[in-house]
Amino acid sequence: MIPKFVEQRQIEEINGTIQISSIFEINGKSLAILTDIENSKTILSDMPLSLGEHVSLLLKEQTNIGVQTDLDIGSKVEGYGVFIFPYGPVSSGIPEAGGFKLITYGERIVKLIPQINFKKRGIERRVIGMKPEDALLLVERSAGNFSSSYSTCFITAVENILGLEIASSAKWIRAVAIELERIYNHLHVFGRLGEAASQNVATAQVNALKERVLRINAKYYGHRYLFGFNKIGGVNYGPFTTDERKGLVSAIKVIAKEFSNIVAFFLSSRIFLDRLQETAKLPKQDALNLGAVGPSARGSGIDMDDRLMYPIEPYNDIFIGIETDKEGDTMARTMVRIQEIASSTVILEQLLDRMPSDNINKPQLSSSNSSSSLPCNSDKDFSFCRIESPSGDLIHVVQLDAITGRIKFLHIRPPSLVNWLPLSKSLEGNVFTDFQFAFESFGLSYADSDR
Amino acid sequence: MIKSWFIHGIRNGILTTKYPKTLPTTDEIPIKSIPPFGSKDSDWLKGKQICPTNAIEDQEKNVDFGKCIFCRRCSDTGFDFEDQNEMRNIALQAEGLLNIENRDKMHEDFKKKIMTFRKSLHILMIDVGSCNACNLEVLNLSNPYYDLTRLGIFFTNSPKHADVLVVVGALNYAMVEVLKRTYESMPNPKIVISIGACSISGGIFQDTESFVSPIHDVIPVDVTVPGCPPTPIQILEGLLLSMGKNNKQQTAEEKHNPPD
Repeated sequence: MIPKFVEQRQIEEINGTIQISSIFEINGKSLAILTDIENSKTILSDMPLSLGEHVSLLLKEQTNIGVQTDLDIGSKVEGYGVFIFPYGPVSSGIPEAGGFKLITYGERIVKLIPQINFKKRGIERRVIGMKPEDALLLVERSAGNFSSSYSTCFITAVENILGLEIASSAKWIRAVAIELERIYNHLHVFGRLGEAASQNVATAQVNALKERVLRINAKYYGHRYLFGFNKIGGVNYGPFTTDERKGLVSAIKVIAKEFSNIVAFFLSSRIFLDRLQETAKLPKQDALNLGAVGPSARGSGIDMDDRLMYPIEPYNDIFIGIETDKEGDTMARTMVRIQEIASSTVILEQLLDRMPSDNINKPQLSSSNSSSSLPCNSDKDFSFCRIESPSGDLIHVVQLDAITGRIKFLHIRPPSLVNWLPLSKSLEGNVFTDFQFAFESFGLSYADSDR
Repeated sequence: MIKSWFIHGIRNGILTTKYPKTLPTTDEIPIKSIPPFGSKDSDWLKGKQICPTNAIEDQEKNVDFGKCIFCRRCSDTGFDFEDQNEMRNIALQAEGLLNIENRDKMHEDFKKKIMTFRKSLHILMIDVGSCNACNLEVLNLSNPYYDLTRLGIFFTNSPKHADVLVVVGALNYAMVEVLKRTYESMPNPKIVISIGACSISGGIFQDTESFVSPIHDVIPVDVTVPGCPPTPIQILEGLLLSMGKNNKQQTAEEKHNPPD
């Protein structure tokens, strides 16, 4: 029923599992960004000849505005007593404009059709002809809770094209923001899971921790959701002094410690565990076929992380522990997130201890050949970047006009977009009440996938 | 288990903010949530050119908070972001959005409505095209730091039970009919709070092809809370305004006559 993700590929010399991560048309040529999961590599290649059904559905941008899109693949479900249970776009379970069609015969979910594009804003088309610094304001507001991933991804791609060699410390400050974002998003997901299981006291404690991380964001980056700290060629806000860095590390360490205490409470609650274990199982092969990314993929035992696959500075310089779990159920995804909060704390500690002390905000034009060993096209016409956002792999492809320096093309492949189909696959055969646990554990955001 | 939660709670102490009894602290309203305003030396023409959302319009050097996305670009052109306590209160009655004939009637209506909601308020949030940041800030209102329920405000899941419709996001074509139907299915009297620059004016998304119009062109809006996103305290301020508790007056009164 599920089409194989890569049916035919043009690069034959690479063996192992290869995923198509993104497809885009540039200069009249179709290109694809492929992911070699076994070797943790990113490959830019010509587009494979034939694609799975859902690849064409997902990875190409849909241009119709004001109409929602049903992500419906596979066979139709018909039978005695089967009906469609519509859910959304105004609902209590999802605090966003988005919906689902749950196909059911009463108790169990036979098929789940996610409905996206209720709030399609068309940012990729809006930014064409804008200056990169103006476009940045729109790009970082595509998905509010992934904003530092979005802005860093976009800016890194633009800086690649312009050949700007920016200060290392600015890059490290961006990485700190990305890790802070990961921590508060994981806390948010965990809080939502606790809320769904009616663990009200514990949930309140988790939400309090999340609020504390948001306040740390506000204190060191000026904004609770990290808007506007990034700029092309440097950073506007950030922990610049040694005292600030020390304060940030100690504050985050306290939060991680308190969170581990709360997790111990949660994991001793049989009620909570019962709802998570064996719920919404996503086997490894399905996750590979459907192209799941981020904690959802790592929960199914796929060892993929953009911090290793596309290691921009400073991720090539520090130790990153990748957490995986092979079970593939909601519990596994939750455990991955819990462990990632700890590993992000370790990363933050390394980043802030060893942050290079060079002059921030002094970009220089680099020599003609960039020292970067990352895949990048030769003539520097366009560039792409991958960032591990809290929900997974985020790709931006940017092309600038050579004369005016304005944006000619922007392609965003958000992490949530590719995780809808793994969600609907994992929910097949589960009961109705498991829906919210599955949905929250994937950490999906409609704003992200609708962009 | 219960005992350990009790100890955990005691150890953490009281986290909840003292607002609205006291003014919000800098932790609660960070620097990038304080709106800009024109000072004597500000160069409004330059500011107008630099502003991405046309929030700086006139020579009076006023900034339209409903359009401002707090990007702080105009700080170079002399616009001031001083941390002034009175400037932190940015929730407004939405009279400015209306034409003059409707304004008086609206004002009367609003006065009647807030008398009804003095003690308790049930709110429903609807997202019509936001970036998810406003949604999260509204959800954050229920965490221990803000604790809505101490003020008699509750979240509800159905428009049939709601007194207040909290609208976030830039109105999308796909959501116009949904928004109208949600509004119509709420019982009277009802209040609409428009939260964030996107829902008040379109904000940064005002030129995207999917943006329809500001919310107040589709349904009547009573209170606006500017911001990108507004902090929970600022949203709370908008909610208190629709309960008839203007916190500024209240603090001044309570200073002189503390409640027994």
